[in-house]
Amino acid sequence: MKLFTRAFWSVELAEVAMANITKKVSWSSRTDESGVASEGTPLLNGAEQPRHSRQLSGGGSIFQIGRLSTVDLEEEITTEEDSLRGRLKEIPHNEKLLSLKYESLDYDNIENQLFLEEERRMSFMSFRCLEISRWVICGLIGFLTGLIACFIDIVVEQLAGIKYQVIKENIVKFTEVGGLSISLILWAVLNSSFVMVGAIMVAFFEPIAAGSGIPQIKCYLNGVKIPRVVRLKTLLVKVCGVICSVVGGLAVGKEGPMIHSGAVVAAGVSQGRSTSLKRDFKIFEYFRRDTEKRDFVSAGAAAGVSAAFGAPVGGVLFSLEEGASFWNQMLTWRIFFASMISTFTLNFFLSIYHNKPGDLSNPGLINFGRFESESMEYNLYEIPLFIAMGAVGGLLGALFNVLNYWLTIFRIRYVHRPCLQVMEAMLVAAVTATVAFTMIYFSDDCQPLGPDHTEEYPLQLFCADGEYNSMATAFFNTPERSVRSLFHNQPGTYNPLTLGVFTLTYFFLACWTYGLSVSAGVFIPSLLIGAAWGRLCGILLASITSTGSTWADPGKYALIGAAAQLGGIVRMTLSLTVIMVEATGNVTYGLPIMLVLMTAKIVGDYFQEGLYDIHIKLQSVPFLHWDAPATSHWLTAREVMSSPVTCLNRIEKVGTIVDTLSNTSTNHNGFPVVVRVSDNDEPAKLCGLILRSQLIVLLKHKVFVELAQSRLTQRKLQLKDFRDAYPRFPPIQSIHVSQDERECMMDLTEFMNTTPYTVPQETSLPRVFKLFRALGLRHLVVVEDNRVVGLVTRKDLARYHQGRHGLEELQLAQT
Amino acid sequence: MSPHELSLFFVLLSINVYTFEGSIVVDLNLALANKQESVSSPGHSAVNSPVFKPVVDSLQSLNLLSSFPEDPAISEYCSELLHVFGQRYVTYVNCLVPAARPVKVCQNCYSSYGSLVAIYTNISSDQMSPGNVSCKRSLLRSDRLMLVYQMYSDLEDLWEKSDCSHCITDAYRSLTNDTMFFMTTLNQTLTCFEKYKQGNHTELCKSCKGTYKGLNDLYSRMEKEQTLCIDIEDAMNMTRILWSKGFNCSFPREETVPVIAVSSFMLFLPIIFYLSSFLHSEQKKRKLIHPKRAKSYATLMNIQDKQS
Repeated sequence: MKLFTRAFWSVELAEVAMANITKKVSWSSRTDESGVASEGTPLLNGAEQPRHSRQLSGGGSIFQIGRLSTVDLEEEITTEEDSLRGRLKEIPHNEKLLSLKYESLDYDNIENQLFLEEERRMSFMSFRCLEISRWVICGLIGFLTGLIACFIDIVVEQLAGIKYQVIKENIVKFTEVGGLSISLILWAVLNSSFVMVGAIMVAFFEPIAAGSGIPQIKCYLNGVKIPRVVRLKTLLVKVCGVICSVVGGLAVGKEGPMIHSGAVVAAGVSQGRSTSLKRDFKIFEYFRRDTEKRDFVSAGAAAGVSAAFGAPVGGVLFSLEEGASFWNQMLTWRIFFASMISTFTLNFFLSIYHNKPGDLSNPGLINFGRFESESMEYNLYEIPLFIAMGAVGGLLGALFNVLNYWLTIFRIRYVHRPCLQVMEAMLVAAVTATVAFTMIYFSDDCQPLGPDHTEEYPLQLFCADGEYNSMATAFFNTPERSVRSLFHNQPGTYNPLTLGVFTLTYFFLACWTYGLSVSAGVFIPSLLIGAAWGRLCGILLASITSTGSTWADPGKYALIGAAAQLGGIVRMTLSLTVIMVEATGNVTYGLPIMLVLMTAKIVGDYFQEGLYDIHIKLQSVPFLHWDAPATSHWLTAREVMSSPVTCLNRIEKVGTIVDTLSNTSTNHNGFPVVVRVSDNDEPAKLCGLILRSQLIVLLKHKVFVELAQSRLTQRKLQLKDFRDAYPRFPPIQSIHVSQDERECMMDLTEFMNTTPYTVPQETSLPRVFKLFRALGLRHLVVVEDNRVVGLVTRKDLARYHQGRHGLEELQLAQT
Repeated sequence: MSPHELSLFFVLLSINVYTFEGSIVVDLNLALANKQESVSSPGHSAVNSPVFKPVVDSLQSLNLLSSFPEDPAISEYCSELLHVFGQRYVTYVNCLVPAARPVKVCQNCYSSYGSLVAIYTNISSDQMSPGNVSCKRSLLRSDRLMLVYQMYSDLEDLWEKSDCSHCITDAYRSLTNDTMFFMTTLNQTLTCFEKYKQGNHTELCKSCKGTYKGLNDLYSRMEKEQTLCIDIEDAMNMTRILWSKGFNCSFPREETVPVIAVSSFMLFLPIIFYLSSFLHSEQKKRKLIHPKRAKSYATLMNIQDKQS
C-alpha cells in the first residue's frame, strides 16, 4: 500500500511543485534518499507517524485518502475530521505537545475608534502625567520587591536559626548519652513538617507557584499569558512556600522565587487595584491592558533579580535577555530605576535589621562576600584552567538537566495528584536530612574552630573538643551560608574527600528537588555544587604544583566552579555574567566569568537545553524562541495558518456571536470582521479584527443596534468599560442573553481594530515569525486579495521546532 | 623654627632616650649654631654637655648630629616623661616575652601594661607642661617616624588582640573574679589529670569528667558573655587537646548500626513511593486536538513528503 500511494504521490508532486522550485528540490532529494527505510525516522511529523499507522489498521487514513483523491478532497477530510473528533487520541504527556490553555498577551494596541477618541480627548498634560505615573509605579515596584525580599530573608534566618539550634542541642545531648538516631529522626521530621506546609500550600492552593517561577516569567515576557501567574494569591503562596522550603532544609534557594515575586508585585501595583481583594484604588487606570502590564512585569522581574543578587544591572539585562523582543529604550531606563530602588530598599531595611542603620553593604539576598584580597587575583595562565572548568560545568549541567528532564516527565505522568505531590516533597525533605546526617556522622574531617566563628552552628559530634565537623558546615546550614563559606573560608578548611562526597550527594539531591511542588529556586544549589567542586579543583591544583599555594586560592576556584555549574544548568548568558560580577563586587572577574559561562553554554547545549527551557517545553507552552527554526523557509503562511476562519460580519446577529463564543471545540479569541460572510465558502473581504474579550464586554453592556435606537440616552461605551473588565473577563456562560436579544444586531464597527496586520499566503514562516516576535502579535490574518483565508496565531508558529533530526511538529493537546 | 628643623630636633630627642644620662657630642652646622647661641639656656647646655658614652663611639654617624637649641625647661619635662616611658616599655616587653608560651600575657603583665598606659596617657594628654608646651605635640607627632606613638600602638594592638581587657578589672588593678575562678577550676582539672595520668586513661576519663565538664561549661558560659581573654582561651585549648587527643576521652562513634538502620529505612521510602505511584497511579494522558488547517492539498503534500 505504501508503495502504491507513493506512486500517486509523486505524480501529484510533479504537478503541484511547479509553483515552487525550492520546494521541489528539497522534495526530490528527500524522496530519493529516504526510500523505504525511512519508516522510523522522525521527520516533520515524527510524533504523528505512529498514530497514522494505527489509523491505517483502524480503517481509512486521512493521508491515504488525501493522497489518492484529488477531486473530492474536501469532503473526505471533513468526514475524517468528524471521525477524529469522535474519539480523541490520548497519549502520555511528553515534551512535544502544545497546550491549549495558554494564550497570547494582547501586546498589540487595539486601534479602534474608541481609542482614537480617547487619545483626542487627552491633553498634553495628561500624557505628561502618565509618564510620571510610570516612574512612580516603577519606584513602588522596586520598593515593594525589596521589602518582600527583606521579609523573606529575615524570616528564613530566624526560623532556620531556631531549627538548627534545636537540632544542635539535641545532637549535643545525644552525642553524650547515645541515641543519635533520635536526632536523625528529629531532623527529618522537622524538615518534613516545614516542607509539608509549603507543599500543601503550593499543591492545593496555587500549583503555578511551584518551582522557581523563572520559566513562567520567561513565558510571560515572551508574550504567553500563563493563567494565574501574576495573581496576589500566587505571590502569597510563593513567599510562604519559599520560606518553608528553605527552612525545611531542601537543596533550594530563595533567589529564583524573588524574580517571580517581583513580577507579581509589578503586575499588581501597575493596575492600581486587586481583583482578588476586590479593591479598586481608582488609580493607574490607563495601564489596565496587556501592553502596559507586560512592560511593568519586566520591571518587576528586574527588580526581583536585583533584590536577589544585589545586581541592578544584571536585573535589567535579565529582563532584556528574556523579553528582548518588543522592547523600548525608555523602558530600560525605568527598569533600571526599579532595580536600583529595589536593591537599595533591601539594603536599607537589612541594615536596620542588623542594627547598623545606614550601612548599605547588604545589597542582595545572597551575598558572595568580597573578593578583594591579594590571593584572589588571577593570572593569564589561569584562563585555560578556567575554560576547562567551564567545560566541566557544562557537562555536569547537561547531566543535571537530563536527569531532571526524566524525573519531571515521570512526575507529570504519575505524580500528578496533589496529595502525592505533598508526600513526595516530604519524602525528599526527610531524605535530604537523612543524607546530610549520615554524611556528617561518618565524616572524619575535623577542623579547629576559627577565631571569628564563620560557622553559625558548628557541630562537634565526634571531633576533639574545640574542633568542629567540617562536613557539617556544608550540610548543617542554609545553602547560602554554605556557598559563602566555600568561597571565603581559609585554604585547608575542607579536605578534598569531604568536598568530593558533598558535591556528589548535593548534585543528586538538588536534581531530585527541582521540580517538586514547592516554590524554590535552583540558583543557590547550582552555585553550591559548583563551588564545592571548584574548591576541590583549587585544592588539587595547589597540591600538584609545588608553589601552588601562592596562586591557587581555593576560594577563587570555588567562584569559577560556581559560575560554570550555574551556567551549565540555566544557560543564561549576558545577564548571568553581569549578575555574577555584580554579586562578587569585583569587575576584574568579568572576563573569566564570561569565558566560563560561554564554555559551559556551548558544551551544555551540545547535549541538552537549559533547565528553564526544558521546563517550559514540558509544560507545553507555545514559546517563541529568538528565531524561527533554521530550515523552515520552505513553509509558507498557507501551511502554517488555521483555516477556515470563523469570521463575523460587521453588523452581526447577537445569536451568532453568542454561539460562536460558546462553542467549546473552537475556543477562538480573535475574529476577523468581514464585510459580509458569503453563503458559499468564498472568503470574504476583511475590514477589521475583534477580540473575544471585547465581544464579551459588548454583550455584557448589551450594545445592540435596536437598543441604541430605542433608548437614545444610552451611555456610549468607552475604553474605560473595557479596562474595568480587564484582566478577568467573565466567561461567555455567565452572560445571559435572552431569546429576544438573540435576534438583535450588534454593530462592531466602532470597536474592532480596523487595521489588523495581514500577510499574503506566500509569506514564509520566518517572516511571519519575525512579525510575531517583533510586534508581539496575537493574531495575524492571512489574506488573498484582501479576502480572509486564514489566521496565524502563536500556537501555529510555536509548533514548528528544530529537532535533532530536522524540523519537527508539535501537537496540540488539552492539558 | 622651620618644621624640618623641629623634626630633626625630635629625632635627636628620641635618640636621647637611650643616652639620657650623658649626651651626644655633635657638630652643629653654622646656621644652627648661630641660632643656638641666640636661644641658649642652662637646660640646653646640660643636654649638650660633652659626656661621652662608649656606645656613641661605635656610632660615628651620630657625631653628625647634635641637639638643637630649644626651650630647655619644656624639653626637660618632656624628656623626663620620655625616659619613664622607655623604662616602662622595657619592663612590659620583658614581661611579655617569657609569657608567650603557654600564653600568660594577661595575668602576668597586666600591671606593667597599666603603668605603660598611664605614662602614655600622660604624654598624650592635652594638658600643658610647666613650660606651657604640650609634650603631646613635641613627642608624638613631630616627625614622620612618630616612634613613640608607633611603639605604643604596636603594644596596644597586641593588647587588643589578646582581649586581655576582658580578664582585667578596669584600672589594671587585678584579674577579674571570673578569671580567678576559671584559673582555680583549671588547676583542679589539671591536678586531676596529674593524679590519674599514670595507668589506664579510661580511669582518667571517668574520674576527671566531672571537673573537666565543669571547666568546659564555665568556658562556654564565659564565651557567651564575652569575658574570654587569650590566657583563658589558650589554657582551655591546651586542656581540650590534652583531654581529646592526649587521653582520648572524646565520644566514641558507637551507634553506627541504629543510624544506618534508620537512614536506610528513610532512603527506602522514596523507592516505595515512586514504585507505588508508578504502578497504582493512573498515568496522565493528554487529549490531542486537531487544529483546523487549510484544506488545500499542498499542506498534506508537504507533510506527506516529509514523511516518506
